[in-house]
Amino acid sequence: MALNGVDLEIRRGEFVALVGPSGSGKSTLLNLIGGLDRPSAGEIWVEDLELGKANDKRLVRYRRDRIGFIFQSFNLLPTRSAAENVEVPLMLAGIARRQRRERALELLRQVGLGKRADHKPNELSGGEMQRVAVARALANRPALLLADEPTGNLDSKTGKAILSLLRDLLRTQGLTMVLVTHDMNVAGYADRVVHMLDGRVQRIEEGSTDADPQGVALEAEVLP
Amino acid sequence: MTFGDLSRTALSNLGRRKVRTVLTSIGVIVGILTIVTMVSLGIGVRLEINKQFKAIGLERVFIRPQQGERNFFTQFAPPSRSKPITESDVSRWRQMPKVKEVVADVDLPLGVASALKIRERVQQVGVEGTSSAFGQVPFQQPPTALAGQLALPDTPGSLLLTAGALRELDIGRDQAARLVGQTAEIVLQSPRGEQQSFSFTVVGVSSEEAPIVRVPLQDRIAMKGWWFNKPALLETDGYDSVTILAEDVASANALVGQIRAEGFRVQSLELILNLADQVFTVINVMLSSVGGLALLVASLGIVNTMIMSIYERTREIGTLKAIGASRGDIRLMFMLEAGMIGLLGGIVGIVAGYGLGKLLNRVILWYVEREQLPVRGDFFVVTPSLALYALLFATLIGILAGLYPANRAAKLDPLMALRHE
Repeated sequence: MALNGVDLEIRRGEFVALVGPSGSGKSTLLNLIGGLDRPSAGEIWVEDLELGKANDKRLVRYRRDRIGFIFQSFNLLPTRSAAENVEVPLMLAGIARRQRRERALELLRQVGLGKRADHKPNELSGGEMQRVAVARALANRPALLLADEPTGNLDSKTGKAILSLLRDLLRTQGLTMVLVTHDMNVAGYADRVVHMLDGRVQRIEEGSTDADPQGVALEAEVLP
Repeated sequence: MTFGDLSRTALSNLGRRKVRTVLTSIGVIVGILTIVTMVSLGIGVRLEINKQFKAIGLERVFIRPQQGERNFFTQFAPPSRSKPITESDVSRWRQMPKVKEVVADVDLPLGVASALKIRERVQQVGVEGTSSAFGQVPFQQPPTALAGQLALPDTPGSLLLTAGALRELDIGRDQAARLVGQTAEIVLQSPRGEQQSFSFTVVGVSSEEAPIVRVPLQDRIAMKGWWFNKPALLETDGYDSVTILAEDVASANALVGQIRAEGFRVQSLELILNLADQVFTVINVMLSSVGGLALLVASLGIVNTMIMSIYERTREIGTLKAIGASRGDIRLMFMLEAGMIGLLGGIVGIVAGYGLGKLLNRVILWYVEREQLPVRGDFFVVTPSLALYALLFATLIGILAGLYPANRAAKLDPLMALRHE
């Protein structure tokens, strides 16, 4: 049993870091929130949607439209340019080519890669690739960003730059973000740090919040 | 995902591994090439035969007498006729409505020893009647007159020489003009040594290459009557064959039924043509199954390639699923990829098949001209519908081959796929 009694409520506009050693269940919790996995018992509510009971079709739409995933190893499509990678979620949503091109270029400008739109991933640095991934996560204007060790494959300087970028995006766009890390320096950027151990929430630590959270964005209750 | 996006994605994924894609599609190319070549040969030959038959005229009906059963003692004897074609039959058919022309004929059996004697030279030649009763002879160019007239008159005693007969007699073609108007003899010799001579006047020399002479019906009746010692040949044996020219194909078909009911053996060109069509369909199917076998092997190649590429792209599939691709999207994407391998192979296969057909047509034409064979026309014909069907078939093979791998990809668990190295 990866999770063993988790009761967590995340407010809209909040930046929450899940920390803990490997095997503590933080990634499992993130995958449950991302709709990639289903809880064997308990409920996960994201606004009006209960993920545990939603059918496959609704989960696919939920992943496509309401959340954005950011991975440790970027997971860009290697043969597609930066802009085309950003376009993938828009393509999955069935948006017309010209509109999605415009949207992709706009997003790449937001993450500071306006001039690298036509570069392939292997022509980009690690930090640039993660910026493309951030732009891709934002493509369908999700309410919730889910990041699994987003700085794990980056040097500390680049990592910091990505974290500041993410925090700025959260502030300006009113996004909620759940970030998984084992690095306390990374967790320091969050409004709240959830410490996990052996599949349980050990303690919750309020960070240096300057946010103004409003309402409940997410409520996870995974039973033992 | 829209269909356009799916196909663009599939195409760009195929472009990632060009060598593998091309190698995989070679199987399809070979299969489609074989099918297209074989079927186009079938189509071409069928068209050629149809053309030749049309030239004779489908409105012709061929009638032969009904033959009696042969037994052990009569198996080498001329067939006895249980229902001969008599003169009254022929004149009755002439009176039938929608009948334009009736030509009755008597053949000299092949075994008759007939020698042509002209200008002191003697040579064995065949004796036949006029060829025009059957319209244009299929697979032969119409003969031309080397000298005199080409048409054989009905008046007994006229004889038409051929270039083939001149060759047998060792007379040059340049002598042809001088032979017209000269007398010639045909000497029949029975196995017991009795001889009978029939005399003729040469009316013309045709360009036909067969070593024969053509004489009118009356003379042939007389010759056959002597050979079998049946002076009243027409009364006892009747005619050997009758050709009726009907006004149109439909009335020809009606005549076939009518005369067959009278107890004769009847055939029309349309019946023969239908039979030939059936034979060609069978041959076509057989030849195409060779290509089908190649396609079967090719489809296994596609399955293999798709499984490989799905294995390689497991992580990518996981990513796509995590960011919102449905099972249907993934399934369609890979099915289209497989279909495109088929389509690619199909296009190249059809173009190659078309090219090969053109080349073979050239080779055949060259051969035909060198050998001066009386055949013209293309033997490999790729019709638009053949190309279309081949293309659809190739694509379908690809899609079917992609069914299983695509389903596997669609069912991948995104979490497992994302963890895949």
